[in-house]
Amino acid sequence: MTTYLLRRLLLVIPTLFGITLLTFLLIRLAPGNAAMLKGGSGPNGGHAVTAEAREQTIKLYGLDENPFVAYGKWVGNLARLNFGQSFVDHRPVIDKIRERIGLSVSLAGTALVLSYVIAVPLGILAALRRGQPVDRAISVTVFFLYSIPVFVAALVLILFVAGGDYLNLLPMYGANSINASEMSWPAWVWDRIQHMILPVICLTYGSLASISRYSRASMLEVLGQDFLRTARAKGLSERRVIFVQALRNALIPIVTVFAMELPALIGGTIIIEYIFTLPGMGQLVFQSIEARDQFVIMGVVTISAVITLLGYLFADIVYVLVDPRIRYE
Amino acid sequence: MKSVIPMDETYAQRIWRLFKRDRFAFIGFCIVIVFFIVAALAPFLANDHAIVRVADGSVSFPVFRSLEPIEWRFLLYVPLAGLVYGFRGPLFLRVGRGLWIVAGVVLLIEFALFFHHSFNDVTNDRTLPAAFKLMPPIVYSPIETSPDQLVPPSWKHPCGTDSTGRDVAARLLHGARTSLAIGFISQSIALLVGVSVGGMAGYYRRWVDIVTCRFIEVMECFPTLLLILVVVSLCDAANNMIIIMVVIGLTGWTGVARLVRGEFLRLVGQPFPQAAQALGAGDLRIIVRHLLPNSLGPILVTATFGVASAILIESSLSFLGFGMQAPTPSWGDLLSEARKYIDFAWWLAFFPGAAILITIMSYNFVGEGLRDAVDPRLRVK
Repeated sequence: MTTYLLRRLLLVIPTLFGITLLTFLLIRLAPGNAAMLKGGSGPNGGHAVTAEAREQTIKLYGLDENPFVAYGKWVGNLARLNFGQSFVDHRPVIDKIRERIGLSVSLAGTALVLSYVIAVPLGILAALRRGQPVDRAISVTVFFLYSIPVFVAALVLILFVAGGDYLNLLPMYGANSINASEMSWPAWVWDRIQHMILPVICLTYGSLASISRYSRASMLEVLGQDFLRTARAKGLSERRVIFVQALRNALIPIVTVFAMELPALIGGTIIIEYIFTLPGMGQLVFQSIEARDQFVIMGVVTISAVITLLGYLFADIVYVLVDPRIRYE
Repeated sequence: MKSVIPMDETYAQRIWRLFKRDRFAFIGFCIVIVFFIVAALAPFLANDHAIVRVADGSVSFPVFRSLEPIEWRFLLYVPLAGLVYGFRGPLFLRVGRGLWIVAGVVLLIEFALFFHHSFNDVTNDRTLPAAFKLMPPIVYSPIETSPDQLVPPSWKHPCGTDSTGRDVAARLLHGARTSLAIGFISQSIALLVGVSVGGMAGYYRRWVDIVTCRFIEVMECFPTLLLILVVVSLCDAANNMIIIMVVIGLTGWTGVARLVRGEFLRLVGQPFPQAAQALGAGDLRIIVRHLLPNSLGPILVTATFGVASAILIESSLSFLGFGMQAPTPSWGDLLSEARKYIDFAWWLAFFPGAAILITIMSYNFVGEGLRDAVDPRLRVK
C-alpha cells in the first residue's frame, strides 16, 4: 500500500505542472495584455497611460520577458508561495487571497457538509425503498433541484424571502450588516449567520442530486452482498443489519465523491458572491479581471485548481485507507 | 397488446421504445422540440414587421428583409436537418455521397449568406396602414424601446416590459436562439474534441493514453466557470458569440473524452475490430465505422447533459455580464437586468428564469431517459 500511496503522490507532480502551465499560457498569452489596459477607464477611453508609463509597467512586471523565462520565474516563485504582486495596489497576491479565501472556503465548506447531511439519508432511504413511490419522489425532487440554475434560485429567494414585496426575513446583500463593527461578538456571529443562510442554501441544493444518487447506488450494491445474508442468518435484528453492517460499508465510496463536487462548488461560489456581494474570492476574481490584474488572476485560478487536485488526492488516499478490501500492489 | 419481437427492432428503435416509456423524458423531449421551433421561427413570432403586407396594390414580406444571417441560418438549417433525417435512407446509401451532398448544401447556404446584407428596416408595420397585413403574434421587436417602461404583464405585453420599454416576451423568444445556438454549437465542438482525443487514447493506448489521461486530469481540476470567465474576459470576447461558443466547447470535452476512451478500451478487445483489421481495414476506418457506432449511445447521453450545461454556462456568463449583452437578447442577460429591479419588477426575473429552468430541466430529463434506455444495467427495476 505504501507503494501505491507513493505512486499516487508522485502522480500529483505532472498534474501540478500541467495546472501551472495551462494557467500561465491562458492568462499570460491572452490578447488583452495587462500593460495595454492599465489605464483603465481614463478620460481618453482607456488610453490615459502615456507610452513611458506603459514602458515602465512592462519593465516592472517583466511583461517583455521571454515566455519561457517568465514561466520559470513564476513557477519558481510559486514554489516559495510567492504569487507575485498585484498591479493595482502593489500588495503581494498571497495576502490579497488570504484575506478573501476564508469567507469562500467557509461558504463552500458549509454547503458541502450540509449537502452531505441532507443527501446521504435521502439516498439511503431511496435505496431501502427501491422502486417504490418514495424512491421515485426523491429522485425526481433532487433532479428538479439540480436543474435550477443557481442564479435563478438566488433571485427567487431574494424576491420572496429577503426584501421585496413579500417576506423580509433575511438580509439581501453583504456578509455583515453595516453596523457590524459595533456589535458584541454573539450579535456579530448571529448577524453573520443571517447573512449566510441564503448563500449557503443556494450552494447546497445543487449537489443534492449527485450525492444522493451515489448514496443510493452504493447502498444498493451493499444490500445485495453476501455478508448481509450472513448477518441476518446470525440473527441480528434488521435494524442492526441495515444501519450498522450495510450503512458502514455503503458510506465508504460516498465519502470520496466530495472531490468531484469541488469544481462546480467553486463556480457556484463565484456566482453567489457576485449576487449577494460577498467579499470572497469570487469578488476578487471580478475585480482583478476588470483591472487585468494578471498575477492575482493567475493566483486565484491556480489556487482553485490546486484545491480541487488536493480534493481528488485526499479522496483517493482516504478510499484506500478506509477500505481494507482494496489492495494495490 | 402488440408484442415486440426483440430481433425485429433496430438499436435506435429499441432506444426510442424504452425512451418513450419514461414519461418525464418524453415530456422533456417534446419541450426541447417546441423550443427549437420557437427559436427557428422567432422572427415570425415576435417582430414589429408584418409577415405579409398588402398595400398600394403590391404584396410584400417585410419580415424577410430584416432577417440577419443567424436568423437565416436557423430558418434554413433546422428544416435541412429535418430533410436529412427524413431522407437518411437514400441519402446515406453510400455514406460518402450523402456527406458530400449535405456539405454542398451547407456551403451553398453559407456562400449565399456571405453576400447577404441584412437591411436595417426601421419602419414599424404596427402603425402603418395597409389593405391587409398579417402581424406576428407578438407585435414588438426584441430591441424596440418604448416609453412604456417597467410595465407589469398585461394583454398588450404578456410578459411585461423592461427598464427601456422593450417587450420581455419578444426578448424571451429571440433569446431562445442565443441559448440554443450556443448550447448546441459549443457542445458540438466539445463532442468533436472529446471523441477525437478520447478515441485516440482508447485506440492507441500506451503513451497516447497516458498523456491524454494526465491532460484530462489537469483540465478537470479547473473550475469550468472560472476558466471560461477569465478567458472570455481577457480575450475581450464578451458579446462575441463565436469565441464564447469555442471557449465553452474547449472546456467541456473532458467528460466525453473519458467516456469514449473507456468505451474504446472495452471494444478494441472484442472480436469485431480485430476481424475488421484482419480484412485490411485501416485505423481510421476501424475507429469511424466500427468502434464509434458501437459507442454512440453513451456519447449521445453525455452530449445531452452537455447541452444543458453549456446553456447553463452561457446564461451564467451573460448574467455575470461577460456573455452576450444587450441589445442581443439572451436569457442570462435578461436575468442580470432583472437583478437591478428585483424589488418590484418580478416579471423581469420570473419569465427568463422559468425559461432557463424549463430548458435545462428538459435536457436533463431527456439525458436521464436516454441513459436508462441506452444502458439497461442502470435501469431501476
